[in-house]
Amino acid sequence: MPVAATSNFPIQQNRATLRKTVVACGALLSALLLAILVTSLVGSERLPSGGALCALVSLGTNQCGLTSDQFDILFQIRLPRILLAAAVGGSLATAGASYQALLRNPLAEPYLLGISNGAAVGTMLALVFFGRLEWSRPLMAFAGALLATFAVYRLARGKVGASPERLILAGVIVTTLLSSVIVFVTTLMDATRIRSFTFWLLGDLSGASRGLLPLALAITITGAIALTFNARSLNLLMLGERDAFDLGVEVGRIRIIVFVVASLLVGSSVAASGSVGYVGLVVPHLARLSLGSDNRISIPSAALGGALFVIVADTIARTVIAPRELPVGAITALIGAPLFIYLLKRS
Amino acid sequence: MIPHTFKNSKFAIVVGSLVALVLALTMACSSSRTNVGNPSAIGKEVIDDAGRRIILPERVDRVVSLAPNLTEIVFAVGAGSSLVGNTSYCDFPAEAKSIEKVGDTLHPSLERIISLKPQLVLVSTASQLEGFTEQLKSHNISVFVTDPHDLEGVFRSITQIGDILGKSQAAAELVSSLRARSTAVETFVKPLARVRIFYQLSAEPLYTAGHDSFVTDLIKRAGAESVTADVPGAWPKYSAESALAAKPDAIILPTGGSMGEGNANVAEALRNSPAVQRGRVYKINDDHLVRPGPRAVDGLEEMAKALHPEAFK
Repeated sequence: MPVAATSNFPIQQNRATLRKTVVACGALLSALLLAILVTSLVGSERLPSGGALCALVSLGTNQCGLTSDQFDILFQIRLPRILLAAAVGGSLATAGASYQALLRNPLAEPYLLGISNGAAVGTMLALVFFGRLEWSRPLMAFAGALLATFAVYRLARGKVGASPERLILAGVIVTTLLSSVIVFVTTLMDATRIRSFTFWLLGDLSGASRGLLPLALAITITGAIALTFNARSLNLLMLGERDAFDLGVEVGRIRIIVFVVASLLVGSSVAASGSVGYVGLVVPHLARLSLGSDNRISIPSAALGGALFVIVADTIARTVIAPRELPVGAITALIGAPLFIYLLKRS
Repeated sequence: MIPHTFKNSKFAIVVGSLVALVLALTMACSSSRTNVGNPSAIGKEVIDDAGRRIILPERVDRVVSLAPNLTEIVFAVGAGSSLVGNTSYCDFPAEAKSIEKVGDTLHPSLERIISLKPQLVLVSTASQLEGFTEQLKSHNISVFVTDPHDLEGVFRSITQIGDILGKSQAAAELVSSLRARSTAVETFVKPLARVRIFYQLSAEPLYTAGHDSFVTDLIKRAGAESVTADVPGAWPKYSAESALAAKPDAIILPTGGSMGEGNANVAEALRNSPAVQRGRVYKINDDHLVRPGPRAVDGLEEMAKALHPEAFK
């Protein structure tokens, strides 16, 4: 069994875990801030690095010799996109890490379980029926994600509980069902919208969902913190639901918390950027491999690592064939799939 | 004893299936050869925009069009009566709407096309239609691919389709009148300063016209210069920051036609562009700007008049 502990965790060990969490998260947070700073300096348009750095460090209060166009590129286009990438990556990786702990399945991931597709259907319906109301998108995406989560969970639950195989099968069923719903909904749209949708479905951060950026950031941060606070119960759950219950974990309550918070995380990121794949799978795996399977460490590390991963992937997506662009989902899959195979082979 | 027989029968099965395989392959080859051979005995030869050599019967009077611009060309050269099928996007001229629909441009129904027994299917780009072409070939249906990258390419499509459908005369007259209108516009705008424009195909995500699009050529003929004229591809997805940095003097929004009002607003990155500040955002009917057919010249005239109103008083 993993590190996961017992109910009478020695205090010293708790302190050690706390120290490890602080060190790991501190390092990742510094790397994240550095990545935001560095990737703000690259893009299809060249900005003077000195001026751009100075403007960034002054948090936009000083123009630092940048022309007003350069200033707009930096603060109206590039930085919001990088922050959205961070929110999306953080959300998906946190959701993935907590599904994996709750369902005791290393393959549990929003994309593979059909939860992203649930959120995508919600977003599309919001666009078709309440096109003008931007906030209807994350709301409907959340509802779609939650419904898909419960559908997968009910389908996966046999007489002997949810086995890993049943869970993945249920995920495949829900994913394919919802994919056909997506195809059906696209037929309700006009030709211009279909074009934007095929791109969006692959995961795309260029869309002007800037209005959703503050919401996405707020949900990511509160969601990651909320799930980290439940990490101890998730550790006990990794021993099995019965054992966890015997050790005093309110299994039903934890399940609801994870489902709702993770659906919020997936819903807000899908509403803002479509379905970015592999983040929820690769990042938590990397976090556990390098830092151990204690959720108190791996969940917050996955949140920060996910943000880092999607920022890097999106920087590639927007610069590699500049001034043209690729969907970020193509890059995360391109990095994620081989990385995942390598991890599987190694472990 | 028993294993021995077993061995023999296994051997027989292997030999038998090998023989069957060879026979099947030979028959498949010979049958496809006769399929290709048949039309060549009587037909004429054309080369399409995909560089494919196509043998067609002397008289082609049953045609399916898989793109709205090709439907428009067939009607414009006076061969509308030979059109037995088209797509759900084909809405011009009005008669095109009542023709049997075979699906949309990307998802045509093969069964319905075959049941219409056309001699020829007109396709607008070769993409995604490779397997499709093979299946039609086995039913003796030829596929003609058009892929114009400029207005001359559109004229070539018109001429070729006219020739194929026995309307060479009408096609030649149409092309010369279209060419005259295009030349007239070009003469008007020639002395004027070129306007730097951004062509916004869609705002979210930001799509534009690239180097390979016929619209880039139309823009040049209209006395303007597309800031994305050198971007590879026909319809690339474009970086928002590059669009902002380009500071276009005018913006063209193809909108209000059969694509609806979906593209009526300028992308966020261009909200502070010189074009918006000076009120030089022009909406042009998208049917004239995304369909490389006869109405592309309408689009050319509309763009030129919008960008250089002083030249057309």
